[in-house]
Amino acid sequence: MKRTLIFATLAALATRPVAAADLPADASPVALSAEDQAALNAAVAADQAPPPAAASGASAGSNPAISLLFGGSAAAFSRADPQQLGGHDATASGFNLNYLELFAESNVDPYLHFQTSIAIGKDGVELEEAFADTLALPGNLQVKAGKFLSDFGRINPTHPHVWSFADQPLMAGKFFGPDGNRGMGAQLAWLLPLPWFVEAKLATQAADGSCCNRSMFSDAGRPVRAGDDLLYTATLRTFVPLNDDWSLYVGASGQTGPNPQTTGLGTQIVGGDLYLRWRPVADSERRSLSLQVEQAGRRRDLGGKIVDDQAGYAHLVARVAERWETGWRSEWASGVANDPLDPQWTDLRTRHAVQATFYPSHFSRIRLQVSMDRPNWLNTPVYGALLMLESVIGSHGSHGY
Amino acid sequence: MQQKKLSSFLALACGLLAALPAHALQVVATLPSLAALAKEVAGPHAQVEAMLSPRQDPHYADAKPSLVLALNRADLLIFNGLELEVGWLPGLVRQARNPKILPGAAGSFDASRFVQKLHVPATLDRAQGDIHPGGNPHFAWDPRAGAAIAEGLGRALGQADPAHAADYQKNAAELAGRLRALAASEQKRFQALAAPQRQVAVYHDSLVYLVDWLGLQQVTTVEPRPGIPPDPAHLAKVIGQLKAVHGLALLQEEYYPRSASDQVVRLAGGRVAVLQGGARFSEGQRYDEYVRGLAAAVFAAITSK
Repeated sequence: MKRTLIFATLAALATRPVAAADLPADASPVALSAEDQAALNAAVAADQAPPPAAASGASAGSNPAISLLFGGSAAAFSRADPQQLGGHDATASGFNLNYLELFAESNVDPYLHFQTSIAIGKDGVELEEAFADTLALPGNLQVKAGKFLSDFGRINPTHPHVWSFADQPLMAGKFFGPDGNRGMGAQLAWLLPLPWFVEAKLATQAADGSCCNRSMFSDAGRPVRAGDDLLYTATLRTFVPLNDDWSLYVGASGQTGPNPQTTGLGTQIVGGDLYLRWRPVADSERRSLSLQVEQAGRRRDLGGKIVDDQAGYAHLVARVAERWETGWRSEWASGVANDPLDPQWTDLRTRHAVQATFYPSHFSRIRLQVSMDRPNWLNTPVYGALLMLESVIGSHGSHGY
Repeated sequence: MQQKKLSSFLALACGLLAALPAHALQVVATLPSLAALAKEVAGPHAQVEAMLSPRQDPHYADAKPSLVLALNRADLLIFNGLELEVGWLPGLVRQARNPKILPGAAGSFDASRFVQKLHVPATLDRAQGDIHPGGNPHFAWDPRAGAAIAEGLGRALGQADPAHAADYQKNAAELAGRLRALAASEQKRFQALAAPQRQVAVYHDSLVYLVDWLGLQQVTTVEPRPGIPPDPAHLAKVIGQLKAVHGLALLQEEYYPRSASDQVVRLAGGRVAVLQGGARFSEGQRYDEYVRGLAAAVFAAITSK
């Protein structure tokens, strides 16, 4: 009986019966008693008719969109270990494989979309992301489940092929890890019913892994004994179209999770981000100017001692012509004494970079970047210059704003 | 004071929500030209919105989150198809959380399904540039395509809103008839010109449907391959090709760069005709007015001395 009820409820949800208001005036639904309605629901559930598969768009049958993304660079640094933090960064003078990513996505059925990204880097093959997200939940809700990059700020949820610079910001590397914050978990996202865009997201994910949960359990691989052994991320984001040409996208993110030394308070990271973009829609050269700023603060309970540090960056990127782009980035990240993660990083570290990029087409780019990094534990700055080639082949989906 | 400000803000927000007509069908079209077609077929029964500006290159639109809102409440999404919007639309549709407009659903209207496609590539290789596997997607120029899309829209709107199905059918048939008559009369006007006069050059290989409709002959493109900007060597070749053509018109949409084209016509002789990228839907321009204007601009360019 209970099972029938569950099936009936599921079927009712899955088939989304047409509301009376949606029907034409001349086709009013037959009035049914509660029993008859229940019988009808049960019958639908019993038949278990598979729903019609979502026909794909105009192209390519039911094959997923598959693409291969490549990034490789020739680098010259002023020291043998240039102190780069990102898993996709060039980390030594000479030739570097930044990434090779296999990316696939498709709608699964009328209810789910699936996408995955598998990276082949200098450390071997790694599953970066593999998740399903819902397409048609009621109430403006969207659920995502699987392994995914946490929605914290602007850089963390994205892959290097959409970044405006050749390396990962210090903030992401120090707080989240070389691959950014990610893990197995689930996320609920709500598009608020307002006349402007506001989206709220809440996620919970596994908190272990030094690649991607650096401020949490890092390498510990600890079993989950209670809810506070998991990582929680909340994000609120709003988009303000100032006019056709100017847009402002701002977000606030917060994260709380465990760490190996905690006496109960664990680790919290709170951040804000801003993306101000000018792109005249009618400009034939596709010129644009984008300012992006992220700032985050981290508080850790390390054996009862509360330790705070901050990090952030600002970058300005100008598309100066159809094929040319240039950008400047400044970064800062503070340090504390006796940090078990970064024992040397006891004071402010700053890094500045400029880049110039040529886009032969929409599917490739060649980027020259020079940088000056001042880690507090070195007497001299680290200078770097690199030339990076990136390309995408196959069918690659659209990117977010 | 602060509280008063907040409450008046909330009241304004509620007012905005309430101001939306409760029962009108919500139709969202990617291109303003498609929105203009939909507006005429739907008449007073639907609220029609265009996602892009006609002055904007639809290949490279930004996936602005604000566009998600329109998709979220849409009963019908009209898009060009043939991967014209592939760079920005699919992600927005997924974010919209609206089962009505998912690919394959009744409210997902792919205009390209109703159109006779040109330039369907026999081989697919990106070395050819940014080519579209299903065929050239720029058919919104051609009133014959417009007529077929209008008929398709009549059926789709009828499905989404059966109470007014008869109106939609009638409007669609009437509009399709008008567009076909317009297509035929313009075709006749152009056919009366001598063949050499009907030779044109284009910037991007996106005017094939216009060229086909008006019986023009496309001599060359300023872009060496679709989506690849010209280099001086290619321009020199183009100038050579065009010198052989007397009094040539170089046609291009308003969202493509002008400087290379201006140099080409300066050195080869002829003139640049800048065509409106789409119907000025937000300014109330109808689709037939728009295509009539296109034909007039091309006619003026190829007949002026």
